[in-house]
Amino acid sequence: MVLIEDPIYRAYLCKLVGEEGLQIVESMPEDEVTDEHVAEITGISLNTVRRTLYLLYEHRLAKYKRERDPESGWLTYLWTLCVENLDRALESEVKKLLRKLGDRLSYEKNNIFYACVGGCARFVFDEASENNFVCPFCGAGLEYMENDRIVSTIEKRMGDLTAAL
Amino acid sequence: MYEEALEYIKSCEDGVLQSDLWKCLDIDSRKCSRIVSKLLKEDLIKRVPESIDGVRTFRLRYAGISGSSGQFRPLMVGEGFEPCAGCINECVPEHCPELSEWIFAVVLAENSDLCLDQPIKKVSTAKIEQ
Repeated sequence: MVLIEDPIYRAYLCKLVGEEGLQIVESMPEDEVTDEHVAEITGISLNTVRRTLYLLYEHRLAKYKRERDPESGWLTYLWTLCVENLDRALESEVKKLLRKLGDRLSYEKNNIFYACVGGCARFVFDEASENNFVCPFCGAGLEYMENDRIVSTIEKRMGDLTAAL
Repeated sequence: MYEEALEYIKSCEDGVLQSDLWKCLDIDSRKCSRIVSKLLKEDLIKRVPESIDGVRTFRLRYAGISGSSGQFRPLMVGEGFEPCAGCINECVPEHCPELSEWIFAVVLAENSDLCLDQPIKKVSTAKIEQ
């Protein structure tokens, strides 16, 4: 059994494969195992187990070995978790998030925002202007929204993320 | 403020008295208690009762993170993981509602005095026209 105690690893796996997926990960024996066996010991549907294992495989957190039954010719997939790759997977998530935050930061810096006073939505200047500074959802007014703190928070978080690499 | 409190506790090798923490952070003691409760709930700090000049308080120490993933904490806000992990939606970081919510949560966590009671979502022009 693979016990994932670290709260960040747990949160990551939960985001990736959901609560049931995390349960599957924690119920996986350390040796090679078939998806049917995992479904049997966890009581979780075979479809969910397969979906979870393929998602983990895509992130290099699981690997499989194929074996052909000499009599029936059927292929059996034997799965093993690769929890040792968790740090590498998280590094890859950091790099991905940095790219997206970079795009978002440019957007925040290059636009002027107006927000519905009722909290419905935020609009860039052109959108607000086209709607005569009235919220198209609730009809309330749109007011200028300062985004300096959003910009500085994204910049700070990007610095923290870069330091994690 | 939550992250600021954690950073402050982390920076004190001998820990910090809860009665000093709220003064250092320039917040009131009730708000400080709420932050400390949250940090305790997430097992980020440890709290030991202590008496100073007959006044009962607590010494707070950073608990560290079991395992080696502490460096990746910036991927989290509170207990939530960043939204891009495992996301299969078409990626438009400028207008992504999940990313917007996460960014607003980070802003709120790091600037607790900001008057943003409800996260405001970016809505694309296409949606406005519908």
